[in-house]
Amino acid sequence: MSKNRVSRRQFLNYTLMGVGGFMAAGMMMPMVRFAVDPVLKAGAEGDFIATKVKVADITNEPQRVDFNFDQKDAWYESEVTGTAWVYKNENGEIIALSPVCKHLGCTVDWNADKKNPNMFFCPCHYGLYEKDGTNVPGTPPLAPLDVYPHQEKDGILYLGKAQPRGGA
Amino acid sequence: MRWIPDDIAMFNKSSEYVDTAVVPLLPVAFGEGMKESAAMTDFASILTSQLERQLQGRILLIPGHTYLKSKPEEAVSQLEKWEAELLDRQFKHVFYVTCDYDWKQREGELKGTVLWLPSLPLEQMNEASKVSVMEDQVRQLMNLFIQKWREEE
Ligand code: FES
Repeated sequence: MSKNRVSRRQFLNYTLMGVGGFMAAGMMMPMVRFAVDPVLKAGAEGDFIATKVKVADITNEPQRVDFNFDQKDAWYESEVTGTAWVYKNENGEIIALSPVCKHLGCTVDWNADKKNPNMFFCPCHYGLYEKDGTNVPGTPPLAPLDVYPHQEKDGILYLGKAQPRGGA
Repeated sequence: MRWIPDDIAMFNKSSEYVDTAVVPLLPVAFGEGMKESAAMTDFASILTSQLERQLQGRILLIPGHTYLKSKPEEAVSQLEKWEAELLDRQFKHVFYVTCDYDWKQREGELKGTVLWLPSLPLEQMNEASKVSVMEDQVRQLMNLFIQKWREEE
């Protein structure tokens, strides 16, 4: 019984992005956190997180890649699942795009709209992006999809923190 | 968007895009059905919060509507009031997400759409299968939303 409890709680930590998770721990020392936070943030910028994807397995077709990391915001700390759309472009360079729509934050999907094949499509207000992440004018998003910096270590793909690319 | 001040601020700025209110229907029972109602409530809560992450730009996740399982008439009449209020505001769609099958039978009394999914026994699964089972359910629910939106355009 109590074992089940723990695992359910862990499950919540894994799945509820930005919600819950180690709330109690976070609430106990808000002052310390407040003082320390800027330092932690600076450090986190350079952090790359391992995915489960081998660089050699990346193709020209965008694939969904999930990765887990700890997220701290104010008094919440939680383990969060991030997602990237990863592929190799014509020059063989790896591209890792954030799936978060630049309009109001829904999750975009690759090749999900029959009328607009080979594009990133946002189901909420039908935002469209080219394969390289550029927003299609005339659809609601006003900026291209954010890009994850990436690294290769021992053949495995590592992703950093998604960065905006600025308006197109 | 969620029922937190940050999201509500964003909602106020872009409310013309947020045309869908999502209300989780969460049963509470004591005695016999207690555990079952907990499972339903738990499952529907997780499901809707995951769904919100996928479709946050168009939906506002209202705090769950809890009701006594033993008082179905009261539950319906209270929900009707909530529904009237939501439709009075700008919401074009009201979606109810629940694991309690009784709502499917009462759907005719409501203007909104009841989306019913069975609650799966998460407590018997390991972490990995929990996550993938949930993802699967969320995807199904998402498709129902997208389909409904398309129908009305
Ligand atoms: S949130 Fe993607 S188009 Fe509006």
